[in-house]
Amino acid sequence: MVFERPLNSYNKAERRIPVKRNTLVIGVVLFILAVFAWVGWANWELRKQAAERALATVSQGQLVPDAAGGEPDPLSPLKGKPAPGFALEDLSGKKVSLASYKGKAVLINFWATWCGPCKIETPWLIELRNQYAAQGFEVLGVSTDDLDRDDQQKLGDDKKEIAHSVAQLHIPYPVLIDGASIATPYGGLDAMPTSFFVDRNGTVVAAEMGLTSKEDIEANIKKALGK
Amino acid sequence: MPWIRTGIRLATGALLGAAALLVWGQADDSARSILKGAAVEYLYPEQVTVTAGKANIVVLHFRIAPGMHINSHTPKDEFLIPTVFSIPEGAGVRLEDAGYPAATEFVLPLDPGNKLSVYTGEFAIQARIVAEPGNHLVEAKLRFQACDKNQCLPPKTILVPIDVIGKQ
Repeated sequence: MVFERPLNSYNKAERRIPVKRNTLVIGVVLFILAVFAWVGWANWELRKQAAERALATVSQGQLVPDAAGGEPDPLSPLKGKPAPGFALEDLSGKKVSLASYKGKAVLINFWATWCGPCKIETPWLIELRNQYAAQGFEVLGVSTDDLDRDDQQKLGDDKKEIAHSVAQLHIPYPVLIDGASIATPYGGLDAMPTSFFVDRNGTVVAAEMGLTSKEDIEANIKKALGK
Repeated sequence: MPWIRTGIRLATGALLGAAALLVWGQADDSARSILKGAAVEYLYPEQVTVTAGKANIVVLHFRIAPGMHINSHTPKDEFLIPTVFSIPEGAGVRLEDAGYPAATEFVLPLDPGNKLSVYTGEFAIQARIVAEPGNHLVEAKLRFQACDKNQCLPPKTILVPIDVIGKQ
C-alpha cells in the first residue's frame, strides 16, 4: 500500500476541524440551555406575578361585606332602584303610603316586638330622626309582627301589643303594621331588623340587615339626604 | 413561545378564579344557611314504645344551629316568644306535661344590662305522654323564635315526627 502523504501530516490537519466543531456545538448547546433557563426563570416570574395579581383579585372579591358586618348582602338588588310602593295602616287605623313622603329622605325600618336587636337600635333611630328631621328626614317604623286578621278579638290584641311596645320604646315616628304583607318586594325580610334608606326621589340608596351601629345608620341617612 | 406562556397564565388565572369563586360561594352559602336553613333541628327518637293508657316520659332531643339561640320556655321579657312543645289533638297520643331544660343566660354585646333566658346548642324536652293502644304517627310541634347576636328570625313552628307504639 502506498500513501500519497505521510500519515502524521494528514491526521494533524484533519484533527483540527472536529475540535473547532465540537467547541462550536458545545457553545451552541450551552447557549440554548441558557436561553431555556432564562425563559424558564422569566416564565416563573411571570407566573408568580400573575398569581399575586390573581390573589389580590381574590382578596378584593371577598371584601364586599354588607353593613351587617361581613355577610353577603341579600338586599343589594334593591339598591339604586325605586323603593317598592306601599300603603299600610298605622296603629290608629289610618293608611299611610310611602308615596306621601316623596321629597323627603326616608328610613324604612322593619322591626318586631320580639326582636331584641331591634330594641337596641331604636334609641339610635329616635336620636338621628330628631337630629335630621329639619333637613327633610323621616323614619317609618314597619312592624312585622303577625296579625290574626281572621279573629277580630285577636287582631285587636295583636295591635295592642305592638302599641304597648311602641309606647315602651318611646317611638315618636310613625309605626305601620302588617309589614309581612310587603315582605316579597322588600327582599323577603328574612331577619329583623332590616332597614332601607330612600332618597328624596324615592330611590333606595342603602340597605342594612341586622344590627349595625349608629355611625353606619347615620352615614346612610346622610347618603339618603344627598350629603 | 408566547402562546404557551399565555396559555399557562390563562390556565393559572382560571384556576385561581375558580378557587376564588369557590371560596366566595362557600361564604355565601354559610351566611344564607343561617337565614334560610333550619335554626332548630329535631334529632331523636324517631320511634318510641310506651305502655298504653299510662303516663310515660319520652325525652326528645333537639339541636340549635351554631351561633344562634332561641328563647327558653320562660323568657324574661314579656314580648319575647317562648319555646313551646305541643301535640295536636286527635293524634292518639296526649301530652300531659312538658319538662323544659334549664335556660342559660345570654347577653347581647350592645345591651350588656339585659340578660336573656335562652337555649343554645343541643337541648332536650321531657314529654309526659299518654298513648292509646296501637301505632300512632304523631306530628308534634315545637314553636320557637331564634336570633343570633345581631338579628332575629321570625317565629317558627317545626314538626317533630314521632312513631309512638302504645302496647297494652
